[in-house]
Amino acid sequence: MAGSINKKKKITAGQIVNYLLLTLLAFICLYPFLNVIAYSLSGYNAVLSGRVTFYPIDFNLEAYKQILGKTQIWNSMRTTVLVTLLGTALSLVMTIFASYGLSRNDLPGRKFLTGTILFTMYFGGGMIPTFLVVKGVGLYDTLGALFIPQAVNVFNFIVMRTFFKNLPESLEEAARIDGASYLQVLVRIVLPLSLPIIATIGLFYAVGYWNTYFDALLYIQDPNKYTLQLRLRSLLFGEELNNSGANLEGLGTQVMTQSLKMATVAVSTIPILVVYPWLQKYFVKGVMVGSVKG
Amino acid sequence: MQKSKNLNRTLTKMWNYKWIYLMLLPVMVYYIVFKYIPMYGVTIAFKDYNVFKGVLGSPWCGLEVFKKILSNKNFWEAIKNTLLLNFISLLVSFPLTIIVSLMLNEVLSTKFKKITQSVLYLPHFISWVVVAGIATNLFSQQGGTINQMFHALGLPSVPFLSDEGWWVFTYVLCNVWKEIGWGTIIYLAALTGVDESLYEAAYLDGATKLQRLFYITLPSIKSVIVTMLILQISKMMTIGLDAPLLLGNKKVMGVSEVISTYTYRLGIERAKYSDSTAIGLFQSVINIIILLAADKFAKAIGEDGII
Repeated sequence: MAGSINKKKKITAGQIVNYLLLTLLAFICLYPFLNVIAYSLSGYNAVLSGRVTFYPIDFNLEAYKQILGKTQIWNSMRTTVLVTLLGTALSLVMTIFASYGLSRNDLPGRKFLTGTILFTMYFGGGMIPTFLVVKGVGLYDTLGALFIPQAVNVFNFIVMRTFFKNLPESLEEAARIDGASYLQVLVRIVLPLSLPIIATIGLFYAVGYWNTYFDALLYIQDPNKYTLQLRLRSLLFGEELNNSGANLEGLGTQVMTQSLKMATVAVSTIPILVVYPWLQKYFVKGVMVGSVKG
Repeated sequence: MQKSKNLNRTLTKMWNYKWIYLMLLPVMVYYIVFKYIPMYGVTIAFKDYNVFKGVLGSPWCGLEVFKKILSNKNFWEAIKNTLLLNFISLLVSFPLTIIVSLMLNEVLSTKFKKITQSVLYLPHFISWVVVAGIATNLFSQQGGTINQMFHALGLPSVPFLSDEGWWVFTYVLCNVWKEIGWGTIIYLAALTGVDESLYEAAYLDGATKLQRLFYITLPSIKSVIVTMLILQISKMMTIGLDAPLLLGNKKVMGVSEVISTYTYRLGIERAKYSDSTAIGLFQSVINIIILLAADKFAKAIGEDGII
């Protein structure tokens, strides 16, 4: 790469500028998070007078105490954790089944079945017809509506199928000759070799479910089933966004202080920030496998 | 004779694969129920939909719904806004993503590179509700951090979220902030594939840094750039609903109402199922046309297709 030649030379002015610009960019990416934390930990008067920018002023945990004392937040947190766990599990199993089955080149009907899946990338029924189906199968206003209708993502299927295709065939053949069933081969041989890709795709699904906002807006009516994102939206913006009569109950009806709002934002984002560094090393690989395209 | 032998062989194979088919069964059922039945559901775009009669029972009305929609000013407004927001976002984020990739590629310290990348990828994983919450805290005219900084410096306040022009700026900024790091992954992958001996040869021939960039680096990743550009263009008519719905407000409806938010308001909030579906169908058809055209174009200029 370009870098290796320069190694022998001194660091140039261009290099320094490059480092500075990238540091600035990284700071811009991080600053909004700092801002959230600063507001959430600052005192009421400091926030009101507009003195908070980079770090907390009049440090206190009042906002967190308030937000964590609300049962609604805990309810929504529980709902979201449940949806994320169930959804990720279902999505992974379905995606693995689809990719494993359709990764073999001699399966009769493989082309037709793959085509059936890929076609949905380019054409779909759209919001209302899907809404009517979800309602029709009885998922409306249930947590199932938040993960069953979007169980398999075509992009993730392509990525995983590409990965399975590149696994050495000989391993599987040997196991088959020894009398292992396809399910045994999948569980004992294919999956252990595919942990990085499963971690990546699991992360994509989990983040997707954690962040789901629109599906919840569409399918959930009962405020007791609000997901974290939906709750967050109603706490942050009140009814302004949703003219159809958003359910503003409890917390939402009070005028929330900025500190409280930002503490809510922090609480709902922290779980992602916690798992992110653990999984980060995997997902870059996953995106690249996907970009090679099956 | 030969034919029946082949058929027999296929059937034996299928029997051998019975457990595989069983694994595929739930997946196919899922696609039929949640993707293909809704595809049939688009027929309500040609029907006078009645909640009590359902999708199958409602009477056909030909192109009535389409006529109604195409003569609606709001519909064209939504299309205009979708194209406008996508076009400006593309104009800003596309070159910027490539520039940041090139900058990251020049970094010698692997540690610095890794940390910077981790930080830049992070916003991709944050929900739009959170982004909109943070944006409001930063950009609102009263009490927003940025405007307070302006105030402290004696500058006038800026209506980032409540003026249509400024709103477009803020929308693009939030999008770029969220996705720029993530977008670099694919270019960085391509950049690691550039043949190093080319750089060495150029270096020995006395090529400057800029010359190496324009004659080696960029041509080497040209096909990735073209593919990404075509992919982006093929998504021109689509904007996810989250960003404009959450960042938008009543004051900026004139620019923030895009096709997806319009179909949502029409379909869900006002229960005009047929109208909303017709708009969705119109959008899908245009999308397919753009996609096919982009794919043809890519192949015509000697690049890989995107389908």
